Amino acid sequence: MVFTGIEILFFTLGVMVTLIIISLIRYNKKYKFSALSWALLGIGSFLLVFCLAWSVSSVLEGVPRAASMGLMVFGIPAILLVLTGRRTVLKNQLKND
Amino acid sequence: MNKLNSKNNNAINRRNFLKVGVAGAAIGAISIPAKGREKLVEKVNKNVGPNLIKVHDEFPYEINSTFKRHSSMDLLFSGALFGTHPEDTDILNSGHRFIENNQKHDNSKKGWDQLGAAINAGGWALHHAVSANACFSQAGQGILKWEQLSEAEGKQGSHSSKDWVSDEKYKFRDKQEASNAIKRAARLFGADLIGITKRDKRWDYTDFFDGNLMLQGKRDEAVYGWEKFPFEPKSVIVLAFEEDYECIAAAPTHLGGAAVGEGYTRMTKVAYQLSVMLKQLGYMAVPASNDVGMSVPYAIAAGLGEGSRMGTLVTYKYGPRVRLAKVYTNLDFVEYDKPIEFGVMDFCKNCKRCADACPGKAISFDTEPTFEPPYDNAWYNSTGIKKYYMDARKCIKVWGDFGSDCGSCVAACPYNKPDFWHHRLVDKITKLMPGPVHDFMREMDIAFGYGDVDNPEKVDKFFDASNRSYDGQ
Ligand code: SF4
Ligand code: SF4
Repeated sequence: MVFTGIEILFFTLGVMVTLIIISLIRYNKKYKFSALSWALLGIGSFLLVFCLAWSVSSVLEGVPRAASMGLMVFGIPAILLVLTGRRTVLKNQLKND
Repeated sequence: MNKLNSKNNNAINRRNFLKVGVAGAAIGAISIPAKGREKLVEKVNKNVGPNLIKVHDEFPYEINSTFKRHSSMDLLFSGALFGTHPEDTDILNSGHRFIENNQKHDNSKKGWDQLGAAINAGGWALHHAVSANACFSQAGQGILKWEQLSEAEGKQGSHSSKDWVSDEKYKFRDKQEASNAIKRAARLFGADLIGITKRDKRWDYTDFFDGNLMLQGKRDEAVYGWEKFPFEPKSVIVLAFEEDYECIAAAPTHLGGAAVGEGYTRMTKVAYQLSVMLKQLGYMAVPASNDVGMSVPYAIAAGLGEGSRMGTLVTYKYGPRVRLAKVYTNLDFVEYDKPIEFGVMDFCKNCKRCADACPGKAISFDTEPTFEPPYDNAWYNSTGIKKYYMDARKCIKVWGDFGSDCGSCVAACPYNKPDFWHHRLVDKITKLMPGPVHDFMREMDIAFGYGDVDNPEKVDKFFDASNRSYDGQ
C-alpha cells in the first residue's frame, strides 16, 4: 500500500471541506443566506464531514457496526439539516423574488 | 518504517486532530493566517485543556489511617502459587489448577486450541527464560537481579553486557535534561509510556521472599527485608507497554494470554536495558517487574494514568491495555512527573462494563469507591486507599478454570480502543460531560459494537490476513 487508509481519508476530507466552503461562499453570493440558513447548512455540512470521517475510520479499525451506527447517528441528521437549510435558502429566494 | 516511527505517525494523526480539536480544524479550514491560527488554538487549548486533563501535585486518591504497607507475602500469587497463606486452601487450589490447565489446550474451541496455546507460549517464552517468576512478584529474578557490580568487578568478569556501575558519574546539565534522556532511551529500548516519580515507601513491599524456599516449607529462611536491597532508592522510573489490541479483544482465550506474556517479555527486556544504562551513567539501578513495589500506584504517581474500577491503571493513550515495569534508582537529579486525571474514575461510577463482563463477578458494582473491600478475608488487598476493590479470589478462580490470563475486563473497557482519533475525541467529550451523560456514553459504546467479550469472531479477526501486509509494502 502506498498510502494508508487514514492518510487517504484525511486527504479526502480536506478536499471535501474545501469544496463545501467554496460552494457555500458561491451560493451565498447568489442567494444571500439568512443567519438560519448559514447555521443549518454549516452544522449540516460539518456533521456530514464528521460522519464520513467516523464511518471510514470505523471500517479501517474493523468495527463495521460502529460505521453503520455512525452513518445513522451522524449521517441522517446531517442530511436533514442540509436539506432544511436548502429549503430555507429557496424560501428566502422566493420571498425576495 | 520501524515500529516507533509507525506508532508516532499514528499518534500524530490522532493527537494532532484532537489537540487542535474541532475548533482548530474549523479554523484551519477557513484558512486564518498560520500565526493567528496558532494563537487561537493555543487559547482554546489553554481554556479547555485543564478541564480535559487535570494535573495533581500529590497522589490523587484519599488515603486514611487504616492504610498499611503491603507485604509481598500478601499478594494473590504468593498465596496461590507459593503457599504464603497455607490456610487459604481456596486460593491455593485455584493456583494449582491454573498451573495444571495452563499446560492444556482444547482444539474444539477457537482461541483455546493448540495454535492459541502455542502463540501464548511464544508470548511468554523470553520472560520465563530470563526472569522466571517476576510475573508472580518474585524479586531479583534472572536479569531483574539486584546485584550492583562495581566497575572493577565488572571489568574483571566476562561482563560484556556492561552490567556494572561506572566509577564516573555523568552530570546532567539540569533535571529536565536528565528526565528527557532517560525517557528517550526507554522509548528506544521499547517502552511505550514513561513516567518518573519519587520513590515512595508507601508503595514498596515491606518484605520479600524466596519462592523456592517457601515451597520447601522453610518459611523463616525464605523471608527477607529491605536490608538486602543494594542501595537507598530515590526515584522510580515507571514504564508502560501496550498490549496487542486484537489479542486482548479476543479475551478470554490463549491469545489474550499471549498479549500479556509478550508485554511481560518487553517489561523485562526494557527495564533491564534501562538499568544498565543508568549503571553506566554511574548510578545504581534495579529493574523490577511486578516485584519490589506496587506498579499501579507508582504509575499513577508518575503521571501515566488513573486508577479504575477493575483495579488496573487506565492510561490516556492505550486505556487499560498496558503492562507496567519499574526501575528503582538512586539518581534523584531528575524532573519528576505529576499525577493526571482525565475522567476515568468519574466515568467508572456509571460504567461498570468490566464488572458486567467479568465471568467470576470479581469486580465491584458499588457506585462510589471505598477505603475497604466490601468482602471478607481479603488479605491480598491493600486497604485504606479510596478506590474500587477487586476480589482477586474470584478472579484467580476463573484463571484456574481457564488455565490462562482472562482479561475480559480489559477487553470490555470503553477506554480500550485501537489507536484512532475518534475514540480520543469521544474520551474528551465524555470528560467534559456531567455524570448522567456517562450512562448514555456507555450505552452508545455498546450500541456501536465495542467491548463484547468471549466472541469467537475476535479470534478470526486476529488471524485475518486481509488488509495486512507482512512484507513492508
Ligand atoms: S481478569 Fe477476568 S476474572 Fe479477573 S477480574 Fe478481569 S474479567 Fe474478572
Ligand atoms: S470498564 Fe468502565 S467501569 Fe470498568 S474500568 Fe473501564 S471505564 Fe471503569
